[in-house]
Amino acid sequence: MRYTRPADVDGVTAALADGDAVVVGGGTMVVPEMTHGRVRPSAVVDLAKAGLAGIARDGDGWVIGAMTTYTELARSNVPLLATAARGITGGPQIRNRGTVGGSASYANPSSDVPAVLVALGARMRLARRGGAREVPAAEFFAGAFRTAREPDEVLTAITVPDTAAAPGYVKFKLVEGSWPIVTAAALAGPTIRVVLGGAAAAPVVVELERASWRARLRSEVDRLLTEPWDDVLAPGHYRARIAPVIAARAVAGALEEA
Amino acid sequence: MKLTVNGVEHEIDVDPRTLLVHAIREQVGLTGTHVGCLTGDCGACTVVVDGQTTKSCSVLALSAEGSAVETIESLADGDDLHPVQQAFWDEFGFQCGFCLPGMLLTAKELVESTPDPTDDDILRAIDGNLCRCTGYNTIVAAVRKAARS
Repeated sequence: MRYTRPADVDGVTAALADGDAVVVGGGTMVVPEMTHGRVRPSAVVDLAKAGLAGIARDGDGWVIGAMTTYTELARSNVPLLATAARGITGGPQIRNRGTVGGSASYANPSSDVPAVLVALGARMRLARRGGAREVPAAEFFAGAFRTAREPDEVLTAITVPDTAAAPGYVKFKLVEGSWPIVTAAALAGPTIRVVLGGAAAAPVVVELERASWRARLRSEVDRLLTEPWDDVLAPGHYRARIAPVIAARAVAGALEEA
Repeated sequence: MKLTVNGVEHEIDVDPRTLLVHAIREQVGLTGTHVGCLTGDCGACTVVVDGQTTKSCSVLALSAEGSAVETIESLADGDDLHPVQQAFWDEFGFQCGFCLPGMLLTAKELVESTPDPTDDDILRAIDGNLCRCTGYNTIVAAVRKAARS
């Protein structure tokens, strides 16, 4: 296995050009996957020194480097994402090491980050040798463990526009050390958007009118959640059953903030 | 590669797949850092990398080149226990001791960053460290005592 730790993004994209390398951010997911033989890369590109960490303001929003850790996010004022970061499972050791870009790229359906980014209307900045592009978060998360990132691309940053809407976040899990079973990230503005994580292979976006949200929520979730996510943590029918409850709690929380 | 552990630089040979925890134990020879689950769950392999606690089973050794790594061996000064170690000793905060290196370094990070932690702060801080002996009550008491000392 080849190992490289480039000093900048150009070095990373050059190392990824052949399309056969695995990108390591914090390593909290992919390194154990390698240890247990579920990922067997011929090459690893380590982002640790590529200068991709940190949160900056840019115009009417935030630019969050892909290597920004949960600990850094938890100390920030980025709506929803700071709240989700504080609740990440695995202890301070994981929050000190795990990154927002790594979680997004891994795209585990049962993780906090994807649904939060979709709720925020985030955009994902991807770089490849000689080029760059941006993909809306809603298109980036293509399915379970699948994103729009091509093998020769690296996620460099996530941009999050400012919002006047009030945030609400609820994560439901049955034991402390568990991945979430269902999460709900709500933004209450003139209309209400609540995005479900863990409920399906990719985040599920529910748009509601403020006046009728409570009456419409369950039927909207039922309509949109046609294929609930099913894994060792919880069967699909259970997730489908609790998803509207978790969504309602998140919306109620957001409206209390408003 | 060069790996700096507890202020000493070691020149070691590693395969690119070598985990930091294995480099520390097998190449550097410091066996106080334990190997538990190798999945990032149990926290027995906790070390401090550049001032932050990290699970060393989830870090490639090569990725730690140029970083300052601190292990459990850095805490005591000869026979004099670090105050966090003393608190765990006084409160019976361990039985078999397997989780202890990770518990101690995690507790140290908490008490250094949070002067007067609540029990909720303590439980939150150790939620990435599994103990299968104590039931956690004595551990929480030990961290509480460490914070006061």
